Amino acid sequence: MYTQALLLLPLVGFGVAFLLQGTVKRSPAIVKTWAMLGFAAIAAVAALAGAEIGTLYEGPTVFGSVLTYGLTDLSWWFVLLIAGITALTTVFTLGSLRYADDYPMYYAWLFAKVFGMIGLVMSRDLLSFFIMWEIMSWATYLVMQQGRDESRKAAQGYLVYAISAGMILLGGVVFLRTASGSFEFAVITKFVAGADLGVIITAIVLVLVPFLIEAAVYPTHGWLPSAYASSETTMTAYLSSISTRMGLFGLILFVFNVFGLDVIDRIGISAHLNLRTLLLVLAALTAVLPTYTALFQHDAKRLLTWHSIGQGGYMLLGLATASTLGTAGGLMHIFNYMTYVALIIFSIAAVEYRTGTTNLNKLGGLITRQPVAFLGMLFGIIGLAGIPPMNGFVSKWFIYRSLILGGYPFVALAAFIATVGTIMSVYKLIHNTFLGQLPERYNEVREVGWVMQLPIWVLMAVVFATGVFPGTILQWIARIQVELGIAPIAYTLGGVAQEAGDLNMMVITLVFTLTFIVGAVIFFMGGKRRIVSQYDNYAAGHFLNKDVPYNFNYNFYSAFDHIFEKLYHAAPVQSTERNLGRLVATVGEYIRRFFTGQINTYAAYYVAAVIIALAFLKEVL
Amino acid sequence: MNSGIGLIVWIIAYPFVSFFLGVLLGGYGRKLTARVQRRVGPTWIQPLFDVIKLMTKQTNISHGYMHDVAMMMLVGGTLMTMYFVPVPGFHYFSQFGDYIVVMYLLLVPPLGMALGVGQTANPNGSIGISRALQMLAGYEITLVMTFIGFAMKHGTTSMYELMKLQQAGGPATWGIFAEPLLGIAALFALQGMLNEKPFEVIIAPHEIATGPMTEMGGKYLGMMFIQHLIALPMELTIFMNLFLGGAQSWVEYVVKLFVLFTLVLVVNAVYGRFKTDGALRFFWKLPLPLAALGVVMIMANGM
Repeated sequence: MYTQALLLLPLVGFGVAFLLQGTVKRSPAIVKTWAMLGFAAIAAVAALAGAEIGTLYEGPTVFGSVLTYGLTDLSWWFVLLIAGITALTTVFTLGSLRYADDYPMYYAWLFAKVFGMIGLVMSRDLLSFFIMWEIMSWATYLVMQQGRDESRKAAQGYLVYAISAGMILLGGVVFLRTASGSFEFAVITKFVAGADLGVIITAIVLVLVPFLIEAAVYPTHGWLPSAYASSETTMTAYLSSISTRMGLFGLILFVFNVFGLDVIDRIGISAHLNLRTLLLVLAALTAVLPTYTALFQHDAKRLLTWHSIGQGGYMLLGLATASTLGTAGGLMHIFNYMTYVALIIFSIAAVEYRTGTTNLNKLGGLITRQPVAFLGMLFGIIGLAGIPPMNGFVSKWFIYRSLILGGYPFVALAAFIATVGTIMSVYKLIHNTFLGQLPERYNEVREVGWVMQLPIWVLMAVVFATGVFPGTILQWIARIQVELGIAPIAYTLGGVAQEAGDLNMMVITLVFTLTFIVGAVIFFMGGKRRIVSQYDNYAAGHFLNKDVPYNFNYNFYSAFDHIFEKLYHAAPVQSTERNLGRLVATVGEYIRRFFTGQINTYAAYYVAAVIIALAFLKEVL
Repeated sequence: MNSGIGLIVWIIAYPFVSFFLGVLLGGYGRKLTARVQRRVGPTWIQPLFDVIKLMTKQTNISHGYMHDVAMMMLVGGTLMTMYFVPVPGFHYFSQFGDYIVVMYLLLVPPLGMALGVGQTANPNGSIGISRALQMLAGYEITLVMTFIGFAMKHGTTSMYELMKLQQAGGPATWGIFAEPLLGIAALFALQGMLNEKPFEVIIAPHEIATGPMTEMGGKYLGMMFIQHLIALPMELTIFMNLFLGGAQSWVEYVVKLFVLFTLVLVVNAVYGRFKTDGALRFFWKLPLPLAALGVVMIMANGM
């Protein structure tokens, strides 16, 4: 019953929110209340739905096959993540969505997106998976293009990728249906196990590539930064935290469950050179390159969207090892990243709400004006950088350990290089927003209201608590691992059992608390301190006031800039870049004739493709 | 000594022991550098006098609460990390955190400092932090590469286990002799980690008015001194545990500490300093490839 409700509620929510769009201008409170009620109900039902794991439900019949859906441990976990973060985001929008009349369909599309995502993770056969995938992609596009012209343009960039991914996936669906004779996962699993290598490779390429595109894995990550960063800020948080991970869900489902690890590992030369090695290399590139691109961003939202790509690389790193430790780390990182990226972007949204900008070169010194937002961002960046005692550390510990002991030293090094990049860019983020000199124009800035503070406090508590007690999350992870056919992680409340390694976050946090107290005692033993104005400062003898620019935030990591600037202009790199540029321009010219930027045209292509595919299917049926 | 009363005594006494060692090492450092440069130098416990002087200053200037909390995080974070680094007779906390944990705990004090310095709103401080973080990409990555190779060779990420394995195998199995490429690369990294010349641009007084310390005075500077003195033996111990077989007795431990520190100091005494980008290029051109080569050799031997 709850399982059906999980699909029904978002649909009802969408319908009502759609009808309410006319009221947004006069009284935005109505649609906000409706959305809040709707998403709270979905979250409650999601929590109750755990009792129905394993039961299969039948939906409508399409082309002679019944659409089936139901919960597994893996899909319940994702349903909970989706429902939880959607509810929190909605609470935040109650305060932050001031110009609701710019976004008349904001909540309607959000309901549609939730429907697509929940439907995707609950679908139990290939056809419903594909249908839900498409609903989700279109809803994501519609969510993104709300608001400004800039968002519309960037969302079209996403659409080009999403449609390509959808087309390839459609190819995969048709191929598997034709070859195996069924849409059912179980039949496909049996078929693939006995198939030729050529068939397997075709199936895997057609099915997995769309997931890599959706998960923004290098080199198909180009769509993400603009598309996410130009959305409304709360939506940036939402999209970064959960949307991209749907690609990863597909990857987990098909690699471990539908195809099976044995089949995947048949593609390759040796145990150390196979498809998973390729995935590891891609994941390492995904972790490193976008993270260092983030260093040079001047916009807080854009900086974090690059991390959305980079941290996805970590998740893939863990999953691609296919070991107990690695998959535990990868799965846990999905949850961890969701919590702290939402936290950081909520803080940015709180700053934007008061100052009207997310430009890192214009902000500064807001710590005394918005201390809650500062604390939120501080907890978030400690998590993102993976420093104890926040939850981000635990998943990174798993991933490192699995890479080192699994015999992938250079991939482990790449992961650490990415961590250094992360630390650098998050410090730039918090420094340029909250530290340094407070510009005079922000003197009157106040903290945001309690409605917007609430999600920040909740997420701070989650990021900290799941860091200190990772066992609370690991118990879910262990269940999922059993379902995926991986030996489950031996966990304790504070970390892992002795046979899995040395980690106990409870002890680490306790020691940190006590030593911090020692630090405080030493501090208070010293003389009384006096707080002075920011203009009472060392300036080599020069006086300081609001007219003397005395702040360091522009081009924060100049040495890196200096080094890599030369690298970019080295001859071979430049000529490759130029030639690639020419190629892209030529191809783009042709593509432009197809992708006109008009939704109607896209829809027409899409319908045509589906008709052709169905005609093809009809032959088979 | 890892249970009952002995353990409690260790937990309470260890910070003091560590601070005392830090004072001796710091004093020795100043004396030795002075002698290399044909000066007389201060007394051996000059660092202690410095700390006492700074902590009892009457004027203490703060720029806000983060500035204050940063000092607690700085000293607290260093003390915390210290507990997870095994020394002779005291390795109780190693079972709760391996070297990967230590690697990340080592980032807590710099993060605390970075946040505090940020609030002082002095560009010299921010530039210092920016440089310090960029330097991480040089020495820290090199150090991690050496650790990864060593951990992979022995199939464990626990610092205590790695130390035990070397002690059981005798000096021939010490990291620096068994895997000289990794050992040499790690020595360079140690120089960077201790902010000694030629990797000293972060705090260089002549370049950026002492960088992070620009707006620190009185007890704030005093706490930075305390942190430095505790971190000194700890960072040397990490290298010792990974590459010199740790130590089985306190005599051996102290001797190894001083020998290792002398090595760092004589380099420090005669070299100039790299610019930030120069230091990074140096690390990426020499120590990092050396470490990578060492890892490749370990992999080749293993296959």
